[in-house]
Amino acid sequence: MIVDVIVIGGGASGLAAAISVKKRNKQVLLIERENELGGILNQCIHNGFGLEVFKEEYTGPEYAYKFIEEFNDLKIDYLLNTTVIKLVKNGDEFVVTISSTAQGLKEIKAKAVIISSGCYERTRGQIAMPGERPRGVITAGSAQRYLNINGYMVGKKAFILGSGDIGLIMARRMHLEGAEVLGVAEIMPYSNGLNRNIVQCLNDFDIPLYLSHTVTNVESDDSKRLKAITIQQVDERFNPISGTEKRFEVDTLLLSIGLIPDITLLDDLSVEVDQKTKSSKINQAYETSVPGLFICGNSLQVHDLVDNVSKESSRAGNCTADFLENKFKPRKKINIIPGKNILYVAPQYLDFGWDFTDLIISFRSSKKLEKAIAKVYQGDNLVYQKRRTFVVPAEMETISFPYQELNDSQDIRVELEEL
Amino acid sequence: MYDYIIIGAGVVGSAIARELSLYQAKTLVLEKENDVANVQSLANSAIVHSGHNPEPNSLKARLSVWGNKLYEEMEKELDIPLLRTGAYVVAHNAEEERQLEELTELARINQVPEFKILSFEEALKDEPNLSKTVTKVLSLPTTKVTYPWEVAFAAMENALINGVEFIKNALVTGIKKEFDYFVVTVNNHIEYQCRYLINSAGVASDDIAGLIEKNVPFHITGRKGEYFVIDKRAKGFVNHILYPLPTELGKGVLITPQYHGEILLGPNSELVEDKYLPTTSFAGLAYVKEHAAMLADNIPFNQIIRSFAGIRSTADYDDFYIKESLEVKGLFHLGGIDSPGLTACFAIAKYLVNEVMNVDNIYQLNPDFNPYRKKRVMFHKLSDVEKQVLIKEEPMYGNIICKCEKITEKEILEAMRGPLGSNTIKGIKKRTRAGAGLCQGGYCEEKIVKMISKEFNLSPMDIAYDKENTKLFTQETKVLKK
Ligand SMILES: Cc1cc2nc3c(=O)[nH]c(=O)nc-3n(C[C@H](O)[C@H](O)[C@H](O)COP(=O)(O)OP(=O)(O)OC[C@H]3O[C@@H](n4cnc5c(N)ncnc54)[C@H](O)[C@@H]3O)c2cc1C
Ligand SMILES: Cc1cc2nc3c(=O)[nH]c(=O)nc-3n(C[C@H](O)[C@H](O)[C@H](O)COP(=O)(O)OP(=O)(O)OC[C@H]3O[C@@H](n4cnc5c(N)ncnc54)[C@H](O)[C@@H]3O)c2cc1C
Repeated sequence: MIVDVIVIGGGASGLAAAISVKKRNKQVLLIERENELGGILNQCIHNGFGLEVFKEEYTGPEYAYKFIEEFNDLKIDYLLNTTVIKLVKNGDEFVVTISSTAQGLKEIKAKAVIISSGCYERTRGQIAMPGERPRGVITAGSAQRYLNINGYMVGKKAFILGSGDIGLIMARRMHLEGAEVLGVAEIMPYSNGLNRNIVQCLNDFDIPLYLSHTVTNVESDDSKRLKAITIQQVDERFNPISGTEKRFEVDTLLLSIGLIPDITLLDDLSVEVDQKTKSSKINQAYETSVPGLFICGNSLQVHDLVDNVSKESSRAGNCTADFLENKFKPRKKINIIPGKNILYVAPQYLDFGWDFTDLIISFRSSKKLEKAIAKVYQGDNLVYQKRRTFVVPAEMETISFPYQELNDSQDIRVELEEL
Repeated sequence: MYDYIIIGAGVVGSAIARELSLYQAKTLVLEKENDVANVQSLANSAIVHSGHNPEPNSLKARLSVWGNKLYEEMEKELDIPLLRTGAYVVAHNAEEERQLEELTELARINQVPEFKILSFEEALKDEPNLSKTVTKVLSLPTTKVTYPWEVAFAAMENALINGVEFIKNALVTGIKKEFDYFVVTVNNHIEYQCRYLINSAGVASDDIAGLIEKNVPFHITGRKGEYFVIDKRAKGFVNHILYPLPTELGKGVLITPQYHGEILLGPNSELVEDKYLPTTSFAGLAYVKEHAAMLADNIPFNQIIRSFAGIRSTADYDDFYIKESLEVKGLFHLGGIDSPGLTACFAIAKYLVNEVMNVDNIYQLNPDFNPYRKKRVMFHKLSDVEKQVLIKEEPMYGNIICKCEKITEKEILEAMRGPLGSNTIKGIKKRTRAGAGLCQGGYCEEKIVKMISKEFNLSPMDIAYDKENTKLFTQETKVLKK
């Protein structure tokens, strides 16, 4: 047997992708390793989801439930408690190896695959944080899961490294649960979280934010439990400045130092990886360099708003259905290049074999700009521009424009011009 | 009354326990940590050296060549993991080539098997990422890699089934000698008695000696080594262990492929004030990066998943100090067991028992001694067919708990059971590798907490990362979900 589409991951992304494929009357199988659908949303019990899609503010689980309901109404097939451990392509067929207690080790074949596997949290090891290795240094998302799903607090006196949204939300959450939160340190000169989170999670509770600071020492007590940390200011090249040390006695250091798309499943396929997004490169149809392999949600690029995940993934689902209907023909493709003040762009390719009216490009700025114009050039030709205010690296931006006028032999470049 | 008490359950103490279990003697092992292999044996390069660089005629030379051979036996008896990588010692210029020749001469005198000199081009064939600045290579085919934690587990587990007793969280705080026996005080209040006392306390071995001796015959200074771990997804980046030429500081910064596929960069070698405090530093890790880059090109630094440090127990005596106390009869020291102590551990145990303590003159052989240890299933290392067969018998092998290292529910259950089962997060990580991969436990720790809670009927509030005081949680909250 061979299914039309296998969707890997049942979070916001996988749900939306599966729904849109199913609505095109294709056969879908969604595979999720947890014991419930919803993904990371299940642990986000705070408000702030859905304003764009539903024009209403929901908690994470509520937002997920909206999609799960539709998913169930469409009677989409899915497997829970099932991990995809391997993905390869044989000729035109994908072979997806799953593992579970119920089914054991099994291969399932598919004509197309959508990767919606989410992201994982950057750890202490990846930033080579100096000092000892006590218990008590823990990623913010793990602490959030313990707190919101299992009902346990990881500490009483905490400091937070990194101003990513999870860290900010956890600062407030731990404070409300009675813990003392002594501060948040961020190595960049600006915050990496949404502005609303800085206001609602730190300012409202008088939790100080130390910009251009990082943790430079970790101390443990005799039994190897965290005892204290030291933070230090850094210069433009991120080197610690001596004399700026501040020591905090804490039992917990939460890390909110970045999320990385989880594309470990692509290891056996030769997809082209973008060093900036740390995920696969895609064309405007969310297709990787492997035909029939699509990717979206946090496994494509880390999103700050779930609404964008749902919209993006449902577009990816539609493109997957187009693929199954052979609605594209091999044509030329051009690069989409991040230019001035741009951290990354997705898609990285515009493929003229796919026939859409609009080209949608997501990007992040590389610095904070009060007022700017997003400009798209092909060669010296300005093909699109749009004014933007308060552009910050923490917030993903999206532009959309018709591209019939573009030629298929010159790359295009996205820039942010400061005003 | 015990016949033997062993202080310290690193690889050395564990190997000695196993060796003593060959005899009809009552042996007790006391370990201050909550697990075996938690200090020096926890954080090292994992190399079973060929014995190519210790001074000829030293104990280090003899015991490492012998120890290397014993690993082949122990692989069969104790199911100890071995990855036969071989090693390259590299030279970069004429001066280093001269030193490489001297080293080759040492290897010859120390009777290292199968060594040979290779040209850069020959070496490059098997090691495409070898640095282009290398000019000559000493190839040491018998050098290999083990899995140090498993070495200690294997030896101790086997000792336990052969009658040895083991008490963890037992800090030796006092030693007295009464007539012909010792009184060993643990945690300041519990006393154990024994006829012979073995001090294999690693960096603390001089402090242990100081509990009973006036003039301790050796002193330990800690020398720290820092490392980076590169994720196993970079497997194959190097195939051999790559060594620079040794200096007076030791073997230098190496690149070492590990048994489970990850790659270590390091260690540096730095004297530390506090020999009990392994820390990493910006400077130390920068040194490691810079020196690793002299061995290989294209090092995947962007796949680093962890850094750590270990402290070597280096003595002012320039060899292993394995002797009976000069002051107190029946007390035996294993001092200065720094590198190649992991390589030598099984040989150290045999040397101590047979040549220093002459145990066979005192005790009969244990007729029930069983040299074999039950094989441990490393599920992810099996072929798909083997996996399917096992899952048929035991469906829990189908349930992946650690997504990065692909560790299954059944393996974690096994790690909690058995003679040396563990109920801590770190203990389970050491036994299964759950949490040792890319996400460093971010995903699976929560699942393991639930499993421990169920298996031991423990409230999550009582589950620790490692020692008693490293409880994971400080309080319960209202469960607020949905
Ligand atoms: C802590 C936090 C707070 C946030 N706060 C907000 C907010 O206030 N407002 C807002 O709009 N957005 C917020 N977001 C962003 C948004 O919620 C997420 O970006 C979005 O939910 C991600 O969806 P996803 O499906 O891409 O990933 P996930 O939800 O992570 O889903 C991925 C799923 O794939 C499964 N999976 C992965 N690999 C496999 C495999 N091999 N086999 C089987 N299954 C697999 C995983 O188990 C998981 O369920 C927040 C995000 C986080 C992390
Ligand atoms: C950075 C580094 C790299 C190395 N690389 C290699 C290598 O590649 N190959 C190699 O062969 N060797 C290597 N070594 C050396 C090797 O790790 C050691 O020689 C070996 O682990 C020593 O084992 P041990 O049992 O003597 O010490 P340990 O493992 O330190 O064990 C001593 C035990 O005694 C316990 N103890 C101490 N005091 C007390 C007390 N008062 N009461 C109760 N218990 C106590 C400790 O808790 C500890 O568990 C390296 C060492 C380091 C630090």
